[in-house]
Amino acid sequence: MRRRIGIGAGLAVVMLLGLVPGARAQSSPTSAGSSASQGSKTVLRVGETADMDTDNPFAVSGGSDWTSVTIQYDMLLKFSDADLSPGPSLATGCDHSQDYMTWTCTLRPGLRWSDGTPLTSEDVAFTYRFVMKHRFPQYISYFPFKPVFTTPNDTTLVWTAEKPTFAPDMPPWVYIVPEHVWSKYEDADLKTIKTAPNTPSVASGPFTLTSWTRGQGWTMDRNPYYWGPQPTFDEIQFQVYTDQSAMIQALKGGQIDFADGLKPSLIDSVKGDPNITTQQVVSDWWLNFAFNFGGQGPQAHPLPALQDLTVRKAIEMAIDKEAIVEKVYNGTAAPGDTVVRPASAYWHLDIPADQEFPFDPAKARSMLDAAGYVDTDNDGIREDPKTGDPLVMNVPASQDTTGAVEAGQLIVGFLKAIGIQVKLQAASDAKMNDFWASGNFDAYIWYWSGDPDPNYQLSIFTSGQCGGWSDGCWKDPHYDALYQKQRGIMDRQKRLVVVQEAQRYLYEHIPDIVLAYPGWLQAYRNDRFTGWVPAPGAHGYLLPGYNYDSLTSLRLVAGASGSVSSPGLPAWLWIALIVGVLAVSVLVFRRRRGVDEEA
Amino acid sequence: MGQRGYMARKIFHAAITVLFVLTFNFFLFRVMPGDPVSLLARSERLTPADVAEQRKLYGLDEPLPQQYLTYLRATLTGQLGVSLRSGEPVSSMIGRALPPTVLLVGLGTLFAAVFGVLIGIRGAWHRGSRFDNSTLLGSLLLYSVPEGWLGMLLLIVFAGWLGWFPAGGYTSGTTTGFARVIDIANHLVLPLLTLTLGYIGEYVIIMRSSLLEVMHEEFLQTARAKGVPERLVRRDHAVRNALLPTFSLLCLSFGYVLGGAIVIEAVFSWPGLGRLTYDAINQLDYPVLEGVFLIASIAVIMANLVADLSYGYLDPRIRAA
Repeated sequence: MRRRIGIGAGLAVVMLLGLVPGARAQSSPTSAGSSASQGSKTVLRVGETADMDTDNPFAVSGGSDWTSVTIQYDMLLKFSDADLSPGPSLATGCDHSQDYMTWTCTLRPGLRWSDGTPLTSEDVAFTYRFVMKHRFPQYISYFPFKPVFTTPNDTTLVWTAEKPTFAPDMPPWVYIVPEHVWSKYEDADLKTIKTAPNTPSVASGPFTLTSWTRGQGWTMDRNPYYWGPQPTFDEIQFQVYTDQSAMIQALKGGQIDFADGLKPSLIDSVKGDPNITTQQVVSDWWLNFAFNFGGQGPQAHPLPALQDLTVRKAIEMAIDKEAIVEKVYNGTAAPGDTVVRPASAYWHLDIPADQEFPFDPAKARSMLDAAGYVDTDNDGIREDPKTGDPLVMNVPASQDTTGAVEAGQLIVGFLKAIGIQVKLQAASDAKMNDFWASGNFDAYIWYWSGDPDPNYQLSIFTSGQCGGWSDGCWKDPHYDALYQKQRGIMDRQKRLVVVQEAQRYLYEHIPDIVLAYPGWLQAYRNDRFTGWVPAPGAHGYLLPGYNYDSLTSLRLVAGASGSVSSPGLPAWLWIALIVGVLAVSVLVFRRRRGVDEEA
Repeated sequence: MGQRGYMARKIFHAAITVLFVLTFNFFLFRVMPGDPVSLLARSERLTPADVAEQRKLYGLDEPLPQQYLTYLRATLTGQLGVSLRSGEPVSSMIGRALPPTVLLVGLGTLFAAVFGVLIGIRGAWHRGSRFDNSTLLGSLLLYSVPEGWLGMLLLIVFAGWLGWFPAGGYTSGTTTGFARVIDIANHLVLPLLTLTLGYIGEYVIIMRSSLLEVMHEEFLQTARAKGVPERLVRRDHAVRNALLPTFSLLCLSFGYVLGGAIVIEAVFSWPGLGRLTYDAINQLDYPVLEGVFLIASIAVIMANLVADLSYGYLDPRIRAA
């Protein structure tokens, strides 16, 4: 009896011991062939922090939606790598008439959709008409002055507007969809269109969406009909990681090739690893401290002192933007100045340091003293000489905007040092929306992201946007004139002058304080793929981002294996373990029964 | 009253509880500030007019009592609505999230219970031994450690550093058939280990303490005097009588299975009901939240009912009362 147990247990132990080294070998990322391998396909594995909300190009909202749609679909003209200015895509270029009211765009010959159907100018015209008919909020602003589209032949699109426009040159950030797939939704209602399923997709880009397992990830496969250089690999697998620390571990362990979107605090954990390269992406959004000037409705009673430019100047000079960059963003941001984000490299105005408002709390204090805002009752808070009320500000901060609440906490301290009390309130974006619409705040901390073209960002500061997109209903006729002027200049270089003038005007008149330009962080394994193309510029996005050029230029690093097995115990080890456990338990059970029988 | 009356009363109470839960769920989420449309307003470039229009589209602008009646009518006829974020029917979202959760939490609860009970029994029977002291300490330690932290630790060691197991997810890529089973098994190891270790302490401690209470009862002396071997004294007389508190814990735990293990599912990116809840909370996706909470509440109520009804069967002392 005992001998049998000994042999049985011994066998089990030997099996287990023998399998462990086998398990380790299987988990090496460069080993080919195991029960969980991807076959002979070369796969790029990307970790994302959020799942797509939708696969439908007309319902895009979250970051992963944009990534997926930007890879699959082309626009008429693309955002070029250097500075997001228009570059050839489906169209090789667009020419304008003398009066800028008629634009003629020429498409490449021989374009096809991923199902082989020819791609013609009718598809572009259909897409644009579809957007205008249903007025999708993400796209409608690209079609001002009621344009009409005609297609004299398969490769020509004519855009005719009622007034001179540079809209086709922005370029319009609208993805071109196949008419033969979407025409059936021509007369449908908005809800039906936005919930129309789109997997697998028919598209024109280098990869199409072939499968989507909600909550887990999605897969994109190479499009053989793509008009540009064929990618060197077959498939992209996107995997959703709810927890960023887990995603970092997956990157370090070689389970993914690319991590899209890291918190600044996690950068340190990959800094020392020679196989991982990080990319701090130039910012395409800015952290916003917006003042309220009132006028939204009955609940809008902002602090009257904020109407005084001196007070706003003092506040800006009391805020240490460098401290925000270091403490809130771990150095992965830049201090802010103008409202057009740095990613719009062509348009962004960088005010030289000697012309910016300095961080100088002492000067801020003396400015406020000179203007009559003194602390009359010695409670540390200055009073407004006109109303007698203390300078107390209610400031909601968005907790869904990275760094907003933390920056708010620093600002409470900064403003206390100059005698202004800030009552900070963290709020979800839904609640922020309530504050914004009702005007029930003195200032708030939120964000703006804008477009490659500055028109939209500049428009929100116009008087007409009070009740629309304006933060706090700031109204300045001189600014309105500047905005209208840049909107009417067709020549890029001439327009740039006015756009920069508008940015400087906003900087000097402070309807908002641009606190910081937080960057996006991406990281990749440099021992797997090489040939990443950042856009815009050297500190651009490696993966969309704004265009998919990385994907058409990536290739495996010499020596790296295309197919990788996912980690874990191989099938035979599982079977052996289960058999081993069953064998041991059967032996134990029979021994016990034997003992009972003896008793 | 009799057996029938007892059952009927318990079932009736359960039904009332479900109705209360339905009402409470509805108002609980509406109390949170904002709504799913205004959450997306800034990123989708919606003006306040657009927001109002979309609210109307989703029926979010109707007065609250009317929304409640609509919800009640729909739920009682089995329609759980559609997700406000993706438009997918809530029932299919829950159906998709159910298997991963049942697999992870069901197996984890089972392992924790089985091993916990066995360890607790042995610990109590050999009280004061090295085995007892070390397992008691281990259980207290494991039970007090936050499961998220424990999960992260296991992930860093076994996935990041050693690379033995995936750092998250349910499957890798589209595998089918037997390969898929193995793939899921590999992904299951770390979260299952975390969950089992997190819950095993409960069972060890409860089993141990209830067995200790019974161990000095006189009827055990009687059994020994009759000549029953020690192992059978332990199994048929002591443990059987000490099992009741563990049994109620077990019933409730299985009821909680359908609530999902939110923290562990978040750490390991496990696409179960817990993660569905986590995402829906962040997105203020009311119909999904209502659906998930309904399922979870019904599961707990049912488990409680089963426990209640089976006490009578298990313990004759209760039946006689």
